[in-house]
Amino acid sequence: MSQIALRGVGLTRRYGGFTALRGVDLSVPAGEIRGLIGPNGAGKSTLIDVLSGRAAHWSGQVFVGDTDVSRHSVQKRRRSGLARSFQRTSIFPSLTVRHQLELAAQSGADVDEVLLQLNLDAMQQVYAAELSYGDQRRLDLALALIGRPRVLLLDEPAAGLTVQESLTLARLLRDLVKNWGITVLIVEHDMEVVFSICDRITVLNLGELLVEGTADEVRTSPKVISAYLGRSAA
Amino acid sequence: MTTTRLRGPHAGPWGPIPAAAFLALLSGLVGIGLPFVITAPTAMTLMTQGTINAILATSVGYLIRQSGFVSFGQASFFGLGAYVTALLIKSAALPFAVAVLLGVLLPTLFGFLISLVIVRVSGVAFSMLTLAVAQVFYEIVVKWRDLAGGDDGLSVTLPATFIGIPSSVFQTPTTMFAICWITLTLILFLMYCLSRSRFGMLCSAIRDNEERARFIGYGTLLPRAVIFAISSASGAIGGVLFCLYNGFVSPDILHWTMSGAALVMAIVGGAEFVVGPALGALVYLGVKDALGNITEHWQAIVGIALIIVTVGWPTGIAGLFNTLWKRVRAARPA
Repeated sequence: MSQIALRGVGLTRRYGGFTALRGVDLSVPAGEIRGLIGPNGAGKSTLIDVLSGRAAHWSGQVFVGDTDVSRHSVQKRRRSGLARSFQRTSIFPSLTVRHQLELAAQSGADVDEVLLQLNLDAMQQVYAAELSYGDQRRLDLALALIGRPRVLLLDEPAAGLTVQESLTLARLLRDLVKNWGITVLIVEHDMEVVFSICDRITVLNLGELLVEGTADEVRTSPKVISAYLGRSAA
Repeated sequence: MTTTRLRGPHAGPWGPIPAAAFLALLSGLVGIGLPFVITAPTAMTLMTQGTINAILATSVGYLIRQSGFVSFGQASFFGLGAYVTALLIKSAALPFAVAVLLGVLLPTLFGFLISLVIVRVSGVAFSMLTLAVAQVFYEIVVKWRDLAGGDDGLSVTLPATFIGIPSSVFQTPTTMFAICWITLTLILFLMYCLSRSRFGMLCSAIRDNEERARFIGYGTLLPRAVIFAISSASGAIGGVLFCLYNGFVSPDILHWTMSGAALVMAIVGGAEFVVGPALGALVYLGVKDALGNITEHWQAIVGIALIIVTVGWPTGIAGLFNTLWKRVRAARPA
């Protein structure tokens, strides 16, 4: 059995009287790219927020490898090897591409390699604010990837990109994390991206775990079809 | 794809430092040489006051530039610096030099400690907290007559010498101008170096996107507190120089109007640039002096000018110079 890189146990998150996440258990083996899908309001981004430490007032436990990071701050989780990107581009507009990566590479990680791998090397002296949207998305990803984290949580990395840009990003991401041995949990609405790069997929619905399986298993699951289309599979 | 190559504020952390050091040296020489050129005592007095105000405005601008925080109460550190120095000199309990040193260190320490609370909030809440702190000190000074002299203020007679130098240098416009100018130059140079360092880069990142800074592994409270403390130190230095030059301190220097004036100076000069606020202070006091001779309503004119600058020219005077400089460089044949 492969080693578990990321584990969530009984993860629950309430907003007042509304339960966004209800006792979700999740295990992602090392080196796997795991897709996290579900209809709007399923709790996908909430789960990413809980795992990354962004959410407050949640219960359950989060492990990175064997380390319980449940009570760790965001910074400490990062040092434990847990990194994330955001649904909305989250970069440092007044810094150049290179300088913000140098800043993120606290332990002397190879900035040049990340610049090269994400096709950002030609614009390393450019202010982030001056970049196109697609370049900013790749920079956002680069900030999460620098230092080769053990586990990478990606919240809709292809949001706002064209179909072609999304697929290019997906392929780039798949090659990179496989080469570097990073475990990925990715929330993505673009099913083409999810099915093309994910080893396994977890489906959430109304804050609960619905189905977990390969792309084919999820695609044909009556529960998933029902959750997405609101009816049983024909 | 964007491929424009720009020189960012942190392009090559230590690259432009020698040039800045050369400019600082040049500025220091100007400060020493100017009193030999301008001999009118009134002009020298005005320039000395302007330079002290420039140090205060620089502290406001530094805070805006490095952390994005707008202080409505920077006069508290200026006033604290001045009052601590005045009270310690008056008590004669400590050597003169120690009194001056504590005039800077105590407000800086206070600034650091209070920042651990107030930098946790941002925007208007932060500005209001700084205003509240400043007003607390103002009220203490006004009400505590036995200690601080209340509305009448405190007169201070400086001891004869300061580490072997006659104290008269602090109260002679020509020598005090040089001291204040060189101090301002050193503050600007140090702030510039700091903004080019990795720490400066981190502070810019936190200002841009505090949450992301945490998610790349940085604590964000301490860097912001350090920036606030540096800003407090600069304000306190201005206050100490004010006390030494005037031999008198009064509650006016703690009033919110003093903080407001410093903020106007920083914005008019251009808080985005290290030298902008200092430039703004010199222009502000020059305009105030010139208009004050014409009308007692000079503040209304300054107010209109502030509206025009804020709306039409948000990068201030330094920003205008920067734009002109870029145009000149662009027009130059390759």
